[in-house]
Amino acid sequence: MPEEPYNPLPIGNPSVLARTNWWQTLLVKFIGKHTPKCREMVRILSRSMDEPMPLMMRIKKRLHFLICCWCQRYEEQLRYIRETARKLPEHADEASGAEFPADVRERIKQKLAENVR
Amino acid sequence: MNDGQVASRWVDDHGECLYRYALVRVRKPEIVEDLVQETFLAAVRGYEKFAGRSSERSWLVGILKNKIVDHFRKLGRETSFTDMEFLSDEFSEKFVPVGFWNHDLGPHEWKPEPDTVMHRAEFWQVMRDCLSKLPEKIRAVFTMREMDGVSSKEICATLSISDSNLWVMLHRARMALRECLEMHWFDTPAGGAS
Repeated sequence: MPEEPYNPLPIGNPSVLARTNWWQTLLVKFIGKHTPKCREMVRILSRSMDEPMPLMMRIKKRLHFLICCWCQRYEEQLRYIRETARKLPEHADEASGAEFPADVRERIKQKLAENVR
Repeated sequence: MNDGQVASRWVDDHGECLYRYALVRVRKPEIVEDLVQETFLAAVRGYEKFAGRSSERSWLVGILKNKIVDHFRKLGRETSFTDMEFLSDEFSEKFVPVGFWNHDLGPHEWKPEPDTVMHRAEFWQVMRDCLSKLPEKIRAVFTMREMDGVSSKEICATLSISDSNLWVMLHRARMALRECLEMHWFDTPAGGAS
């Protein structure tokens, strides 16, 4: 069976619009045809983390999210990753199990002592 | 306390934290040692500029971040910083041929709430492991952008890479890190999966 050229599978699809009746099917087809496919959308979402998304693309993204909860999750998760990455320095002790070797500690102290004299 | 004693106390109080932080960013211990040492030296020299607006540790981490960026800048001058090999197929199995997500392989819902997760030491270890799986150049670009908040323009200028290469590298890093966190944390009982 040829694949549907728009977001398929109403079963197990938690998106807002999931082709559960005829009007949803019409809307899903329309949105699927006029917004970027998910593979492209994830690239656009990533880029929008680094530069503002043009207005028209923001509208397309919102429409796309109606038929695709996965892209919506993807965007939320990118923001979440940024939020956690920014907090990593505060949690460096927990993040790394590496020991601060005693010899390194002493070498640094020695170098500092030489330089502040 | 004289300057020497202050510096020695810094090494005792913050050395471990700085060392571990740098090790997440730069995997080579000998380079990490140099970076931490340079950080303390710069701190001693610029101590009068430290107005106490932030904690001593935040101030030292700030200096270390700059040292790390300088390290990558130097690396960027010596070797090409573009790494397009990594994940060149961008997880193509996750999408059906027409380009939509394969529903079974698309992003799962992440629970619990982020704030709860951030208080778990195990989470930060998973984060570190996932970061360490990224190739060095991709990781450097990702951490500069996402951990240090350096602007895209500045990264391109620092590492001499084009805008489009930066976006591709960041996209691949984010995709790989998201996948890794999902697999090793959010889909496990520790991460809240039932």
